Amino acid sequence: MQRRKFITLTAATAAVAAVAPSTLSATDFRKEAPKAWEAATSQEAIEAMFGTGAMEEGKIEIKAPKLAENGGAVPIGIKSDIDLAAVAIFQDANPRSAVVVMEMPEGSKIDLMTKIKMRKTSDVTIVAKGRDGKLYKEVQKVEVSIGGCGG
Amino acid sequence: MKLKAKLKGDSAEIKVMALHQQMGREEAETKKGTKNYITHLTAKVGDRVVFQASMGPFISKDPYFKFDVAGVKKGDTVDVDWVDLSGATKKESIAIK
Repeated sequence: MQRRKFITLTAATAAVAAVAPSTLSATDFRKEAPKAWEAATSQEAIEAMFGTGAMEEGKIEIKAPKLAENGGAVPIGIKSDIDLAAVAIFQDANPRSAVVVMEMPEGSKIDLMTKIKMRKTSDVTIVAKGRDGKLYKEVQKVEVSIGGCGG
Repeated sequence: MKLKAKLKGDSAEIKVMALHQQMGREEAETKKGTKNYITHLTAKVGDRVVFQASMGPFISKDPYFKFDVAGVKKGDTVDVDWVDLSGATKKESIAIK
C-alpha cells in the first residue's frame, strides 16, 4: 500500500505513524498537526489541519439530528460517493473544535457514523480530503437541548 | 469492546463501540476524574488497515464508529485495536457474518 503525505500540513516534524506498523497514510494526525487539536474555533482548526485551499461543497451528506436531546452523544452520519481518503469532524460547541479524523483505504464506501459531544448548539463542519487531494466541506447546524461536555 | 461485522452486498458494515471514559481536560476538572481518552483506533483485515481514527476527548464516552469495508467475505476476521493517552491498549477481533 502506498504511503501518502499530507502536503497541506505545516508541522515541521516528519510524518511518523505512532500506532500500528502499517497505517493508511503514515500520518499521525494528532502528532502532525497538534495546533489543530488545540484550536478553539473550527476555522482555526480546519486551517491548521487542511490549510486554506478551496473546499468544494455539496459532495458530502451529513446525517445529524436538527435537535439533539443528549449533547453527550450526538450521532453524526457522513455519506459520500467521492473516494475519500480522510474525513474530519469539527464543531464550535466545545472548548476546542477538532473531534476526530477518520481514514479509509481506496475503494471504501463512505457511510460513516460516530457520536460526538456538544455542550451547546453550534455548526458541525465536515472536511474531507479526496484520494486525489481535493478538499470537500459540508456544514450543518445542530441544536442541543442539554449540553453534554461535562458542563 | 463491542463489535459487529455484517456483510451487506459488496461490503461489510462494521460497528465498533470501545468502552472508555473518554474524559477530557475540562471534564476531569469538573468531575474530579482523570484526564484520559482513546487517541487512535485502527481496524485491520489481515495486514490491511481498513479504518483508522485519530481522535480527542470530544468523541462521546464509549467511542462509537460505524464504517464499511470493501473486498471482504464472510468469515474474514476484523481486528480492532485502540491506544489511549496513558498508553493503554486494547485489541479485539470479530469474524464477518
